[in-house]
Amino acid sequence: MTKGSRTGVLALHVAALALLAGAQFLLPAFHHGMLARIMVLAAYAVGYNVLLGYTGLMSLGHAMFFAAGMYGTGLTIHHLGFGVGAGFVTGAVSGLAAAALVGLITLRTTGPAFLIVTLMLAQAFYLATLYFNTLTGGDQGFILTGLRVDLAGLRLPLTQPAVKYNVALAVFAACLLASLWITRSPVGRVLAAVRENEERTRLLGYDTARYRLLAILVSGLLSGVAGSAYTLLFSYVGSTFAGILYSIYPLLWTLLGGAGTVLGPLVGTLLMTYIVDIASDFTTGYLFVVGAALVVMILWAPAGIVGGIRARWVAWLP
Amino acid sequence: MTPLLETRGLSKRFGGLEAVSSVDLRLDPGEVRALIGPNGAGKTTLVGLISGRLRPTAGEVRFGGRDITRLRPWERVALGIGYTFQVTSVYRKLSVHDNVAVAAQRGQLRTARDWIALDREAVAADVAATLARVGLAGRSSQRAGTLAYGHQRILEMAMVLALGPELLILDEPTQGLAGDEIEALCRLVRDMAGTATILLIEHNMAVVHDLASRVTVMDQGRIIAEGTPREIEANPEVQRVYLGG
Repeated sequence: MTKGSRTGVLALHVAALALLAGAQFLLPAFHHGMLARIMVLAAYAVGYNVLLGYTGLMSLGHAMFFAAGMYGTGLTIHHLGFGVGAGFVTGAVSGLAAAALVGLITLRTTGPAFLIVTLMLAQAFYLATLYFNTLTGGDQGFILTGLRVDLAGLRLPLTQPAVKYNVALAVFAACLLASLWITRSPVGRVLAAVRENEERTRLLGYDTARYRLLAILVSGLLSGVAGSAYTLLFSYVGSTFAGILYSIYPLLWTLLGGAGTVLGPLVGTLLMTYIVDIASDFTTGYLFVVGAALVVMILWAPAGIVGGIRARWVAWLP
Repeated sequence: MTPLLETRGLSKRFGGLEAVSSVDLRLDPGEVRALIGPNGAGKTTLVGLISGRLRPTAGEVRFGGRDITRLRPWERVALGIGYTFQVTSVYRKLSVHDNVAVAAQRGQLRTARDWIALDREAVAADVAATLARVGLAGRSSQRAGTLAYGHQRILEMAMVLALGPELLILDEPTQGLAGDEIEALCRLVRDMAGTATILLIEHNMAVVHDLASRVTVMDQGRIIAEGTPREIEANPEVQRVYLGG
């Protein structure tokens, strides 16, 4: 880390966010909508990266946190008549609660054991969303209508593209800055230490299991926030988002962009979503293209795109 | 005088093997004690029991008059027991600065009590002072994994030093080092001895002579002799099992 890079780092990320804010005035309608969706999914990937990139824990059950945010928001709005704000808070808290449950169960596990346990718990959650289909609508899901926020006397429907885009941007910016703040704080330094050498960290006086739990909580909260925002902006709740594919996606996005880099999740989500979109114009087997892209990554750029840039050119990149 | 560290009947059994067998060890505040013995004598197991990496099968460990047998390793660190590994153990992908900062902020937390009250300036100052003390000041932004091996060993000492420990356990610090590196490391240990009590596992008898005021000899899990370096070298039992006399 070079001296005085603190302001440089902040400036870089604010510039990235400003670029996203400016893009909405230039993009054609289709890509405008696409980018709104990508930003929400990238917020999810940012949450995932806190655990994989900065703490070194690979989860295969993050769909549970994303979907907890989704159902926490969707069910309370649909069945209990919650407003958008209350629904959003419930969604975020649901993500956090799911993470607390998973974190306490997996407290003593790392590596493959952690991967398997998170996968199992998320599958149980997925099956529960199908089992309670009278409430959740099962894999059909349900649609929310008339979602809007009232801001300074304005009634802003969330289905309107400009509102959608800027809410998505706000959610992404909040998650990105939160992750940047945590990873560069003294606590983030301990998380990196746990990732690099857990035994050394224990013998420098840290109860490492507690720090792993903290990372799971932060990761779950951000994922829940992203899931909740997805439901509010796209007016839909469904068990697809609790399925294994939505646990694998954030892993792919993060690896593609660069695990352990702050901007990696955005770059990875952006690229992968477009790859899938373009590929599905030509073939129904678009997952094959996704797989091929990953093989190429692992062979030639194992650190991901942003990770590769950091290793080669910009060593101070967080 | 109350001993800083005391073990009473400390034992560790791995299956059929008693690696450490009812060891009574006393360290007075301020001394530099060498722990020697042939390979497999139980030295690393013994310091593992003292640092809390291993749980004893029997016996107790007391530190500053307090029973710490049930404490976890990180709680013992908080009380002031620092430990360097036999195999160099630094954070290879982090900068030299961050390696020491992980330890320095833990040292600061002992007084700050929580993260909110943590004084980042004080941590940075601690890191700078520690790196200057061990002679790594110019390498602060370098990745630890790219340091020469001898410097990595010194970095690990710096990390433990930044905890501000009362007792330092060094497990074969000179292992794998060349002549002038050994000299640099001995200077550092002598410097550390000014602020901490040191328990040193060491094979190199020249280093033991140079640093230690007293020597404890282990063989087959037991302490077989204790005394000044001179007395130990004259001890026929020690010569038989260890010094190859």
